[in-house]
Amino acid sequence: MADETAGMAGPPKAHGLHRFRPRLEMRQTTSGLRTAAMIAAGLAVGLGLSALILVASGVRPGDLVNEFIVQIFASPKNISAVLVQAAPMIIVGLSASIAFKARFWNIGIEGQMIFGAIGATLVATFDIGPEGLRLPLMALAAALGGIAWIALPAVLKLRLGVNEIISTLLLNYVALNFLLHLLYGPWQDPVSAFPHSEQFEETERLAALGWQSLNASLIVALALTVLVTVALTASRVGYLLNFVHTNATMARAVGVPVVLLTLAAALGSGALSGLAGFTISAGIEYRMTQSFFIGYGFSGILIAFLARNNPIGATIVALFVAVLMVAGQSLQVFYQIPFAMVQLIQAIIVICVAASDFFIRHRVQWLTG
Amino acid sequence: MTDFLINWIANIPGFAVPFALAALGLIITEKSGVLNLGAEGFMLMGAMAGAGAVIVMGGYPLLALVIAAAAAATLALVFATLTIGLRVNQVISGLLMVFLAQGLTSLIATQQGWTNKAFTGLGKLPLGPLKDIPVVGPILFNQDLIVYLTVPIFFIAAYVLTRTHVGLRLRAVGENPEAADAAGVNITLYRLAAVIIGAALVGLAGGYLTVVVAKIWVDGMAGGRGWIAIALVIFARWHPWRALAGALLFGCVEALIPRVAAAGIGVPQYFMLMLPYAVTLGVMVWTSLARSGASSEPSALGQPYVREERH
Amino acid sequence: MTDPSGTALALDAITKTFDGFRALDAAHVSVRRGEVHALLGENGAGKSSLMNVAAGLYAPDSGRILLDGTEVTIDGPLDARTHGIGMVHQHYKLVKPFNAIENILLSDPGERYGAAIDALTARVREVADELGFELDVTKPVGTLSIAEQQRVEILKVLVGGAWILILDEPTAVLTDAEGARLLETVRALAKGGHSVVLVTHKLNEAIDYCDRITVMRGGRTVDTVEAKGISQSDLTTMIVGADVHEQRAPSQSIGAPVLQVAGLRAARGDGHIAVRDANFEVRSGEIYGIAGVGGNGQTELSDALSGLTRSLAGIVTLGGTTDITDASAEERRENGLAAIPADRHSKALSGTLSVADNFAVGGVLRGRFGSWLRVRRRELEQAAGEAVEAFDVQGVRSLKQRAALLSGGNAQKLVIAREFSGSPRLIVAHSPARGLDLRASAAVHERLRSARDAGAGVLLISEDLDEILLLCDRIGVMTRGQIVAEFDAPFDRQSVGEAMIGHG
Repeated sequence: MADETAGMAGPPKAHGLHRFRPRLEMRQTTSGLRTAAMIAAGLAVGLGLSALILVASGVRPGDLVNEFIVQIFASPKNISAVLVQAAPMIIVGLSASIAFKARFWNIGIEGQMIFGAIGATLVATFDIGPEGLRLPLMALAAALGGIAWIALPAVLKLRLGVNEIISTLLLNYVALNFLLHLLYGPWQDPVSAFPHSEQFEETERLAALGWQSLNASLIVALALTVLVTVALTASRVGYLLNFVHTNATMARAVGVPVVLLTLAAALGSGALSGLAGFTISAGIEYRMTQSFFIGYGFSGILIAFLARNNPIGATIVALFVAVLMVAGQSLQVFYQIPFAMVQLIQAIIVICVAASDFFIRHRVQWLTG
Repeated sequence: MTDFLINWIANIPGFAVPFALAALGLIITEKSGVLNLGAEGFMLMGAMAGAGAVIVMGGYPLLALVIAAAAAATLALVFATLTIGLRVNQVISGLLMVFLAQGLTSLIATQQGWTNKAFTGLGKLPLGPLKDIPVVGPILFNQDLIVYLTVPIFFIAAYVLTRTHVGLRLRAVGENPEAADAAGVNITLYRLAAVIIGAALVGLAGGYLTVVVAKIWVDGMAGGRGWIAIALVIFARWHPWRALAGALLFGCVEALIPRVAAAGIGVPQYFMLMLPYAVTLGVMVWTSLARSGASSEPSALGQPYVREERH
Repeated sequence: MTDPSGTALALDAITKTFDGFRALDAAHVSVRRGEVHALLGENGAGKSSLMNVAAGLYAPDSGRILLDGTEVTIDGPLDARTHGIGMVHQHYKLVKPFNAIENILLSDPGERYGAAIDALTARVREVADELGFELDVTKPVGTLSIAEQQRVEILKVLVGGAWILILDEPTAVLTDAEGARLLETVRALAKGGHSVVLVTHKLNEAIDYCDRITVMRGGRTVDTVEAKGISQSDLTTMIVGADVHEQRAPSQSIGAPVLQVAGLRAARGDGHIAVRDANFEVRSGEIYGIAGVGGNGQTELSDALSGLTRSLAGIVTLGGTTDITDASAEERRENGLAAIPADRHSKALSGTLSVADNFAVGGVLRGRFGSWLRVRRRELEQAAGEAVEAFDVQGVRSLKQRAALLSGGNAQKLVIAREFSGSPRLIVAHSPARGLDLRASAAVHERLRSARDAGAGVLLISEDLDEILLLCDRIGVMTRGQIVAEFDAPFDRQSVGEAMIGHG
C-alpha cells in the first residue's frame, strides 16, 4: 500500500515541510542473516499475538510458560505424547512439501488420509495376507488409497487444466461422506456400535518402542523424511523439480519432463498422505475413527510453507506443531479453551512469518521531496 | 408429483442465494486481479457473526446480516494487507484466511456459547396476494427479503462493472495494472475496495446460511460452499449472470437432497450428501472441456503489482 | 505559447538507482519547443529510464525537472499528464480486451459514462483524421496489429493534451515503410508546435528525422549535438566509446539439410493460427535467416520447433530422417536440437536458481552428472565453472548466485553455453541479440558463426533486418505465418525489405 501514495496527484507543497514519499524496491540479494532475523521477528510477533489471545481467553500469563514449556519438556510422558503426535504431522508436512515442489497445490491431504486409513482398515478388518506381513500390507494399502484419491485431480490438472486446489478440496468432502457411510454402515464396530471401525489386533498395530507411549510410527516418519530428503535434494528428480518449481515454461523448453515429474510428485504426495492416515489408525487410535484426520491437511500445508518445502525443515516445524497440539489438548482440559485455538495460533504465526517475507524481499525507503 | 416439484422449485432460490452472492463477491474481487481463495473463511466469518448478532441482540435479523457482511469485510482487511500490501502469495493468503476463520469462528462461538443454539432468524416475506397464484406464487412470491434483493444486487453489480467509469477502471486494474497505473488509476485503492466489497458479499452469503436458512450456528457450517462458489466463478468465466445461473443449478442440487430422502428413495444418505461436491467437480471438468467462448478471466489475476520493480 | 525556440523540457542532473545499481548518473537533456529530439544510446544506456523520470514513472533520487524554465515535481504519470507530458512506451500500456475508446477513456474520464464515450469517440476520430491514422476504434485493441496499437497509444497521449511527446523505440516493431510513415507524422507534430523526444538506437532515424541528438552511455549524458552534418561513425563513437564493427563472414561449406519444415501450422496460446503452411529447410554449415516484422508468427515458429507448443499440421524432419513433428522438447533435444528463445528470462533461464544449475540442467538431462538417484554436485559445478570461463560470462561472483542477477548479455552467454554444450546439429535462435549492447551481440554472433563453421545448421529468426543481413547465408522472409520469399547471398536489402511488406 505504501507505494501508491507516490501515484496520486501531489497535493500542493506545504511550506517549511518536507513531504515524505515511500518507495519500494525489490532486493536483488539478501543476506542469510537478514532473512533469519526477519523470520525470527515474524515468529516473535506471531507468538506474542497468540499469547495475547490466550491471555484474553482466560489463561493466566504465568501458566502460559508453564503449559507450553515446563509441562511439556519436564515430563517424559508429555515428550512422548509430542513425539507420537509428531509422526503423522511430519508425514503430512512431507506430503505437502513434495506436491508444492512441483507447484501442485494439494489441498486434499485430509481426503487422501481418509482413503489411506480406509485401505489400512480394509486389510486389518478382513485379515488380508499372512499375519507377519499384515502391517506392511496395511501400509501399502494406505499408500495406494492415498494415491487413488489424488490420481483424479492430478490427471484432470495435467490433461484438462482443471484447477487442483478446488478439485482436491472438493474430494475431501466426498471422502468424508464416504468415510461416514462406512462407519455408520458396513464397517461400524459390532462390539460397541459406535461409529468407528472395530479395533485392530496386536499384529495390526505399529509396535511400541518400550519407552512411554512411543511407537514405531515415529520411525516410519523419520524413514520417510530420509527418503524424501534424498529424493528432493540429492536425486535427479529433485534437481529437475527445482526447475519445475521456479519456471515450468523454461523447464519444458530445455527438455525437463514436466508432466511426468508433476504427476510423480502429486502421486507421491498422495501416497504420503495415505501413510499419515495409516500411522494414526495403526499407531495412535488402533482403529479408524470418524475424525482422526481433522486439522492435518491444514497443518501439512502450513508446515510445508514455513519450511519452504524443505523436508528436514518440515520435520522440525512438524515437531513444533506437535508441541502446540499437545499444549492445546491440556488447555482444553484445564481451561476449557476449544481446540480451535491451536488452529488459530498456527494461522496467526504463519501470517506473521509470511508478512516478514515482504521485508526480506523489499526495501522501503522514505524520500523527501 | 406436482406438489413435489413445486415444493422443490420453491426451495431452490433459498439454496441458490448463498452461492449467488458469494460468487458475485468473488467476481468483483477477482476482476481487480486479486485471487480470493479465502471464500470459505469469509463465509464462515459472516455465518458466525450473523448468528452471534441475532443471539446477542435477541432479533433484528436484517441488522445481523449487515453485521455478517461487516465481519467478513473486517477479516478482509487482513487479507488485503497480506495480498495487496505485503504481496504474500495469493494462494497461501487465501488458504490462511480459511484456516484463520475456521479457528476464529469456532473459538469465538464456543467461548460465547453461540454454538448449537437455535434462534429465530429472518422469515419469509410473502408478497401479499401474489403468493396465492397457483404454481408461480409459492415459487416466486413467497421468499425471504434477501432472495428478492439478490436480483437487483446483480443488476447493480453488472451495471457498475460494464457501464461506469468505476467498472472500467476496476477491470483495467485486473487486466493490466501497469496500463491502469499509467492512466492514473490508484491500483491499491481499487484492489482494496474490490477485496472488501467482495468479502462483504461473501460474508452476507454466510450470514444468510445462519440467519435465514439454518437459524443455528454449527462449527464449520459453510460446508465447502465457499469453495463451490470459487468453482462457480470459473464456470461462469467471471460473468455475473452466468454465475447466477450456476448458483441456481447448485440450488437445485441442494434443494433436492432433503427431498429425495423424504420421498423415501433408496439412495444411501451419505452418497446424497456427496452430490454437491461431485456435481461441482463435474462442472469444473465440463468447463475446461468446453473452453470455447469468451472468458473474461482477468489477465493479471493473482499477480501482485509493484510499480518500481525491475527484474 | 512562449518563445518558440525556448526550452520546453529540461532534465538536469538526474540520478536514479535501483537497489544499488545506478541506472542514471547525473544525466541531463533539454528539449526545445517544436523540435524532434533524438535520445540515442545502446540498450542499458539509460535512455528509457531518463524518459520514465520525465513521464513520472520513476521518482528520481536527485536532480531537477524544468518545464518552460520553471522547476516542477512530477508525481506520478497522472501528474506528468497534467504537465502536458505524454509517453508512448516500448511495451504498450493498453488493456487488451478494451477498445481504443475505452483505453483512452481510462485516463480521460468525462462526467457521465455514456456521454463521455460519445464525446471521446468524436474527439479521437477528429485527431486520428488530422494525423491520417486509419483505425477501427470499436475493436478490442488486442485484436489490432502492432502498428495500430501504437496509433492508439499516440492518440491517447495527444487527446490527453500532451505537448511534449516521448516515443520509446517506436519503429522497432514496424516495417521500414510503416516506420517512415510514423516519423513523417512526428515531424508534422513538431511543426505544429509539439516537442517530440524520440528514444532510439537507430542512427539513421536520429540523423534523418531529428533536429538535435543527445547521446547517452552508461547512465550519463555524453553530449547533445545538431543532427545536421553529423556522421554515423561520429555518433557510433559517442555511443559505444569506440568504433565496433562486425564483418560479414559467409559459410565456407554447406552440407545436407538438417531441418526440413513442410506445411507447418501452429497456433498462438489463444488459438489464433500464427504459423500457416511454413516451408523451408536449413542445411548443415549454413545460417538460414527468417526475416520479418515482429508478430508474423516468429515466436510461434520458434516455440513449435523447440517443442514448447504442438504443431497442428505439417512435417518437421531433423537430420534428414528423424520425424520430430510430434516429438516432445526432450526428444528433440536428444536428436541434437538446441534452442535460444527470444524471451530468455521466461523460456531459457530460471532466474531464482543458480548460474551453475541453469548451465547444468541440459547435461543432467543427458545423464552427464550422475544417475537418477544422485546428481554429482561437485562435478556439475566444475563443469559450470569451466563453461562460464570459456563462454566469457561476466558478473559471476559465485556459481551459486541467482541467474536473474546476470545482465542481458551475460545471461544470453550462459544460455548459449548450455545449449552448445551438447554439440547440437541444429540451433534455433530467435532474436539472440535482442537487448544486448554491441559488444555482447558481436560475441553472440561469433558463437553462432563458429557453431555453423563446425557443421551445425543454424536457424536465425530475427526481426532485426541488419542482423539477418550480417549473419545469414540464406534468407527466408516470413509474413503472416508463411515464408513468402527466399534470397541467396549476396542480398539486396531493398528487395528483402519489399518482400517483408509486400504481403503484409
